[in-house]
Amino acid sequence: MEQAPPGPERPLQPAPMEPLGRPTARLEAVVGEEAEGSRGEGRGDGTVTENNFSLKKIEISVSEAEKRTGRNAMNMQETYTAYLIETRSVEHVDGQSVLTDSLWRRYSEFELLRNYLLVYYPHIVVPPLPEKRAEFVWHKLSADNMDPDFVERRRIGLENFLLRVASHPILCRDKIFYLFLTQEGNWKETVSETGFQLKADSRLKALNATFRVKNPDKRFTELKHYSDELQSVISHLLRVRARVADRLYGVYKVHGNYGRVFSEWSAIEKEMGDGLQSAGHHMDVYASSIDDILEDEEHYADQLKEYLFYAEALRAVCRKHELMQYDLEMAAQDLASKKQQCEELATGTVRTFSLKGMTTKLFGQETPEQRDARIKVLEEQISEGEQQLKSKNLEGREFVKNAWADIERFKEQKNHDLKEALISYAVMQISMCK
Amino acid sequence: HLLQSAGLSAERLLQEDSEEDCEDGGAWVMHFTSVIHWPPCPFHGVFMFSLHDLILPNGGTPAGTSSPASSSSLLNRLQLDDDMDGETRDLFVTVDDPKKHVCTMETYITYRITTKSTRVEFDLPEYSVRRRYQDFDWLRNKLEESQPTHLIPPLPEKFVVKGVVDRFSEEFVETRRKALDKFLKRIADHPVLSFNEHFNVFLTAKDLTAYKKQGMALLTRVGESVKHVTGGYKLRSRPLEFAAIGEYLDTFALKLGTIDRIAQRIIKEEIEYLVELREYGPVYSTWSALEGELAEPLEGVSACIGNCSTALEELTDDMTEDFLPVLREYTLYSDCMKSVLKKRDQVQAEYEAKLDSVVLRKEDRPKVPVDVEKCQDRMECFNADLKADVERWQDNKRQDFRQLLMGMADRNIQYYEKPDLKQRLPRIEKQGPPARCALVFCVVLQPLRVLVLCAEVVLSWRAEPPRCPLGSHAHTPLTKTVVSPSVPVGPAVSCRQRPPGLQPE
Repeated sequence: MEQAPPGPERPLQPAPMEPLGRPTARLEAVVGEEAEGSRGEGRGDGTVTENNFSLKKIEISVSEAEKRTGRNAMNMQETYTAYLIETRSVEHVDGQSVLTDSLWRRYSEFELLRNYLLVYYPHIVVPPLPEKRAEFVWHKLSADNMDPDFVERRRIGLENFLLRVASHPILCRDKIFYLFLTQEGNWKETVSETGFQLKADSRLKALNATFRVKNPDKRFTELKHYSDELQSVISHLLRVRARVADRLYGVYKVHGNYGRVFSEWSAIEKEMGDGLQSAGHHMDVYASSIDDILEDEEHYADQLKEYLFYAEALRAVCRKHELMQYDLEMAAQDLASKKQQCEELATGTVRTFSLKGMTTKLFGQETPEQRDARIKVLEEQISEGEQQLKSKNLEGREFVKNAWADIERFKEQKNHDLKEALISYAVMQISMCK
Repeated sequence: HLLQSAGLSAERLLQEDSEEDCEDGGAWVMHFTSVIHWPPCPFHGVFMFSLHDLILPNGGTPAGTSSPASSSSLLNRLQLDDDMDGETRDLFVTVDDPKKHVCTMETYITYRITTKSTRVEFDLPEYSVRRRYQDFDWLRNKLEESQPTHLIPPLPEKFVVKGVVDRFSEEFVETRRKALDKFLKRIADHPVLSFNEHFNVFLTAKDLTAYKKQGMALLTRVGESVKHVTGGYKLRSRPLEFAAIGEYLDTFALKLGTIDRIAQRIIKEEIEYLVELREYGPVYSTWSALEGELAEPLEGVSACIGNCSTALEELTDDMTEDFLPVLREYTLYSDCMKSVLKKRDQVQAEYEAKLDSVVLRKEDRPKVPVDVEKCQDRMECFNADLKADVERWQDNKRQDFRQLLMGMADRNIQYYEKPDLKQRLPRIEKQGPPARCALVFCVVLQPLRVLVLCAEVVLSWRAEPPRCPLGSHAHTPLTKTVVSPSVPVGPAVSCRQRPPGLQPE
């Protein structure tokens, strides 16, 4: 079941995105059964469009995480975490939510979904998943995938991923995505039936290939450059932030030592005793407050990480464009050379060095029939090539148009989200001070 | 009855020590010495009585006590000192203006000592002299010699490991200057030490070297006698209060040491944190260069983190310059006190030994040889002086520590109210919420944390109204002081008890 990328005749306004909020944040995504015309803006505002069809609002949440054991592909015992995905549909009229679906998925299935989306929507900046392994950790933070804090943060990340996909005007209509939310068993088989694996492999290969484009699109080059820089700056930021957190933890904890000394000192004092005792107590409180503070900061780090991975997705889109461009150029080049060959054969002049020319010289000229046959073949190829070139050009232009639309959308989203992230970081610091 | 026999009027004695007086900071001290006749043999005794007052908020001197009388230079005078609080203090000493002197033989630093006084002991109302550390050291030794029964404040460390610490660095000189200033102020505030002639000369003489040379002749006889107390006398039992002080000092010094270590560790951690912060801020700047709409907020965050770093650096500097030296001074002070306590023990031990030997070969009681009496005098004098000094030390300690933390809190408040923050806010306003919030949080970040902490500590102390430092020490009737069970202690003890007219705090 192959899903073609939706055509450009479906301009949908994206539902505004709520920033990564508190753990139990729920986002209402407006999902349309059919997309035609524009829909109302604003969260929770599922309106009836001009074309008069009803829209269903869907709430998605990843509400629980559970440790499980099972057998993996190599029939070995393994422990993994499964996440419960609950989907609720909200009838617009009365606003009550009804649980429509609930199933368990593990991280690898999320990965599969994302890879699928990457293959079939190459012009879309596909939302990233939370990190596979804990990176940018500072010493107290565990790098263990089974660690409850890590699992909790991952749960939030996965929920965020689903919400972003659901609120994307194009991605939300994908059938496989829909099945991911609704069809527990057999989903993996359904995906592989699309034959996407082959495409995935070739995509990966292509992305990693090195080639040079003769006429690169400046915008995409700049964007690729930007995404590289963004990735590098955010990783640097996260690394330093981890070190800062580590040091801050040290400062707070050493203050805790004061607690004991002050309390011991207060025992030998008379008038100063009570004051010292309470000072010691406050030191203890201060020292233990760092744990909560840094946990909140991890949340901020996660928001940054999301955009770190987003930068990667952005880069992939640029690369895809490069690929297409290269492909186009190659095709054009090929066509040009064929045309030239044809011309040479027809006119009998050899302008460029070719193997045929050499062999002709060496082994004698070919018969006119042979030559005509070859010309005919070439002419067929040329017309085929021209067709291909035309469609490739069209494809290329389509791609650029769609990609650029999505990129604009992404930029808006990014600016909005990061501003919110910075604000909440600031607010967090202020409340910590208090 | 006793007082009347000494010729004092009752009204004077019954001057109130009421609550209001305390709040006003009125303190009064009464000295009197008298000759008590203990029939049938003459016995010179000295006793004194002191009444302390509340500690004054402006750091005024707690009232002092004893006069440096000894049995050999008995002073039959009646003295009624006016209150010695900050309002009527008559001796002000300051140490400032360090200057480097380079000579062929050596390089050293001198400090300017400025003295202002209305006392008769000073010819001029104002003096300004220059002294170097050596001179301070000399002064301290002289004071120890001439006032052996008193606690002399400590000097900052004499020896500095060359190569590790730069003797001429600004920080070192400033730390030392502060310590020397404190040293002189403590002496100036001491009711007995401030009248010492060596101190006077130190503050006034143009040429100290000449005076130093003739110093030997000025040793007091008390000094001599104390010097002659050699070791080897075993103390039978230390009076409870001094034992308690000794134990207290041991624990106190231990705790101070621990706090010092912790403070140093904190400073070290904070410096490492600072290093990371310094790298953290600029990354936001780099990022902001990539962005369009986000550029301003990101730049704002970067600037804030920079401010945080600066604030933190100032905080650690203050910790190093103000907090640690006070801790160290009190450790030195404890050491001084302990050595004085030891000397006191020695005096007591000598007295006991002499007394024993007398009792052993005694036939005609109750003739007590003069030298035994002398020992007893010495001991009791010592005890009294020391007790008074301990009181003063405790008060000063409370004072100093409170001042220390309040100073810290104040400094942090100043950071919070930084004027340039107010200038910056309108600019940030234009940039929008994220930058503004970011800026506010960063400037406030460090100082507020410490501020809140210090304020808590200070408030908890303030809730505890400083009570009369007399506490339980001086109230201890001397019957607890066991001299020797076989010798009737008699009136000497009862003299130390409070005259019936006055009420306890």
